[in-house]
Amino acid sequence: MESKGSSCKGSLLLLLVSNMLLCKNVASVPVCLNGAVSCEKYIKDLFDHAVMQSHYYHVLSTEMFKEFDRRYTQGRELFTNTFNGCHTSSLPTPEDKEQAQQTHSEDLLNLIHSILLSWNDPLYHLVSEVRGLQEAPDAILSRAIEIEDQNRRLIEGMEKITSQVHPGAKENHIYSVWSGLPSLQMADEEARLSAFYNLLRCLRRDSHKIDNFLKLLKCRIAYNNNC
Amino acid sequence: MDLWQLLLTLALAGSSDAFSGSEAISPTLDSASQSLQSLNASLGTNSSGKPEFTKCRSPELETFSCHWTDKIQHGLESPGSIQLFYIRSLGANLKQLTSEIQTARKNTQDWTEEWKECPDYVSAGENSCYFNSSYTSIWVPYCIKLTNNGGTVEQKCFSVEEIVQPDPPISLNWTLLNISLTGIHADIQVRWEPPSSADVQKGWIVLEYELQYKQVNETQWKMMDPVMSTSVPVYSLRLDKEYEVRVRSRQRNSEKYGVFSEVLYVTLPQMSSFVCEEDLEFPWFLTTIFGIFGLTAILFVVIFSKQQRIKMLILPPVPVPKIKGIDPDLLKEGKLEEVNTILAIHDHYKPEFYNDDSWVEFIELDIDDLDEKTEGSDTDRLLNSDRQKSLNLLGAKDDDSGRTSCYEPDLLETDFNTSDIDDGTSEVAQPQRLKGEADLLCLDQKNQNKPSYPHASSVTHRPSVIRVEEDKPQPLLTGETESAPQVVPTQINNPSSLANIDFYAQVSDITPAGSVVLSPGQRNKAGTAQSSVHAEEVSLCQANFIADNAYFCESDAKKCIPSAPHTEVKSLTEPRFNQEDIYITTESLTTTAGRSGTVKHTPSSELPVPDYTSIHIVQSPQGLLLNATALPLSDKEFLSSCGYVSTDQLNKIMP
Repeated sequence: MESKGSSCKGSLLLLLVSNMLLCKNVASVPVCLNGAVSCEKYIKDLFDHAVMQSHYYHVLSTEMFKEFDRRYTQGRELFTNTFNGCHTSSLPTPEDKEQAQQTHSEDLLNLIHSILLSWNDPLYHLVSEVRGLQEAPDAILSRAIEIEDQNRRLIEGMEKITSQVHPGAKENHIYSVWSGLPSLQMADEEARLSAFYNLLRCLRRDSHKIDNFLKLLKCRIAYNNNC
Repeated sequence: MDLWQLLLTLALAGSSDAFSGSEAISPTLDSASQSLQSLNASLGTNSSGKPEFTKCRSPELETFSCHWTDKIQHGLESPGSIQLFYIRSLGANLKQLTSEIQTARKNTQDWTEEWKECPDYVSAGENSCYFNSSYTSIWVPYCIKLTNNGGTVEQKCFSVEEIVQPDPPISLNWTLLNISLTGIHADIQVRWEPPSSADVQKGWIVLEYELQYKQVNETQWKMMDPVMSTSVPVYSLRLDKEYEVRVRSRQRNSEKYGVFSEVLYVTLPQMSSFVCEEDLEFPWFLTTIFGIFGLTAILFVVIFSKQQRIKMLILPPVPVPKIKGIDPDLLKEGKLEEVNTILAIHDHYKPEFYNDDSWVEFIELDIDDLDEKTEGSDTDRLLNSDRQKSLNLLGAKDDDSGRTSCYEPDLLETDFNTSDIDDGTSEVAQPQRLKGEADLLCLDQKNQNKPSYPHASSVTHRPSVIRVEEDKPQPLLTGETESAPQVVPTQINNPSSLANIDFYAQVSDITPAGSVVLSPGQRNKAGTAQSSVHAEEVSLCQANFIADNAYFCESDAKKCIPSAPHTEVKSLTEPRFNQEDIYITTESLTTTAGRSGTVKHTPSSELPVPDYTSIHIVQSPQGLLLNATALPLSDKEFLSSCGYVSTDQLNKIMP
């Protein structure tokens, strides 16, 4: 927010105004150009629906994680203090509120989309591998199947939102490759459980990320920062 | 601390072997915490003086703080400073961390430089470490450790979004929603604001709230379901009690709630003293229910009891309309014979509703039971009966017997000449028994059975049914015509069941000339009715001819013709007369006039009985001269009542 020393007051004002705009939260760009009520309503509905879905997505992943922890790992430090990292960590992610607020909506949307894409493959394999778990409870299996569906639905929702909010944006195909399948199939039970635990914890974290970003975008775009 | 360090090292050494094959990247951390946990377990409570983390919490997903207990065994060692170190993986620098931890594995006590010290020991209070927003990264794994004089006391790893516990809501207030009618309970709406630290407006964190309330003197809080909104109604609070309300919040999808808000005291307005205590409420509801049951039971007992007297007292019978001499059940049962009999007895029938139909006429015949009928009585009755009856009956009441059909005046005849003739003839053939009402086509019985009428009529009605009924139910014809306008009274139904009413004759055909061709129908009863008819005929004939406004129907003429009433005609020998008697053509009339004593034969069945013919001239009492020609239809007056024409009308009509 530096005001350039300008002789002309007008240009100074202009600069100030432009600076203010820059300093404001990014992406206060109105989506509905002509302020059409139906357009705004549609955007609101899109976001409300997406937020509901991402909320459900996060609930599913949380419950799945808790169930797994309860049955297999019992909150043992072996697992809880092990951070193997998530395969989606390579995606550039804002790590706090300020960073998120400074990220463009388009980038946020792309990020969400990328995370979801990255989880397509792991979730698919998760369903098949959970069955191989010893005494796999139905609660985990059913939720795994449900999450896989939800992942797909969210991807569709994101694409719809992107097309509505940023119509001309080029398609986003970035995603992280997951290579943890061998770890899920290890013979060592502890190692395998650890891999599962990590995967589920990463899923919970990423679902929380997606949920948060979407809520942020919803309030920013559909409700004009006034949820 | 040396002891601790020794124990720790031993534990680490032991556990590290177990984890040699695992993929755990930070086995040191893991084993350290494990050993610490085991130590803790063995040591029991914290009273032993080991500092440990109490909680780490982030109120708004932007900062977090960690607290620990500070109970150091004094005397055991010099009070060292407790330090907190943290380390966080930097996402993309995960590998770096991994490698660091792996190197640290070899030297469990060599914490890498990545461990940073707590940036703020003050802001969060004593024995706490506060990480402001610049130090806080969401979705990033953190590990913190407590050290005491360099030695790790405790270590803990978490991610910030997992430790969210929002601040309590603020600005609680309540408003009264409503008060119940009894004045005992009330509903209130409790409102609050989200904690100021949580940025719900931008959607960074979404909260849900839980409200709890209780009476002031109670100990147990009542919990409500979590809500997403910042206001919630509380129902059914007692007005004379004071309540406490508190709210707490948590991040959606999380488990842990934040601390409770301040308690809100709710003092509801006192109502007036007439408020009843619930204990003293009269059980109105139960009383009403039982009362209703009792009354119903009594009612049933009364209704179904055999005590007629009581029944009569409580449920007096509804007076039903009674026709003197007629049992209404008969009507319901539809026994036309009997009803006809009865109706014949009544001679005050008044078919008023036929008044409108000018073309309706009917001849009333005396349908007394033949058995009990005597000439004299009939005659007397006929003579005594004034014209009122006939007038009332929408026409000349044909007290004579013998005519058993109703017929319509010429008007009708002309109308229905073409159309009905054919219909009638074919249908006429049907025995009247079709519905048992054939006899009563002209009777009001018919009227009563209006709905049923068309059935029979359908067969026989088209063509007019002419019935001549003995005095009674005049509207023999009218009823007939009434119910089925198209029922040209050119048809005479066979008097089927009623022996008395035999003056019906079935019209088989109506000739264009205006004569009715009667078909030979039942002749059983013909005779009986006939007798009465005849008897009446005579008397009526004389009476009518004299007076003005006397209606003369063919039947009248017929009556006049046979001078000798013949009660003995009950036999079946003269059935034909009934059928054909009704219609009297000029020829027949004249013929009959000739033979006064041979009423029965007067209208011989062989004769082509003509249809209605207008009465041309009222001749001598001997009979009527019927005009074979059709009279102009337009003259409605001609058909003032059952087609009987008064002398005046006759004059008018006569060309």
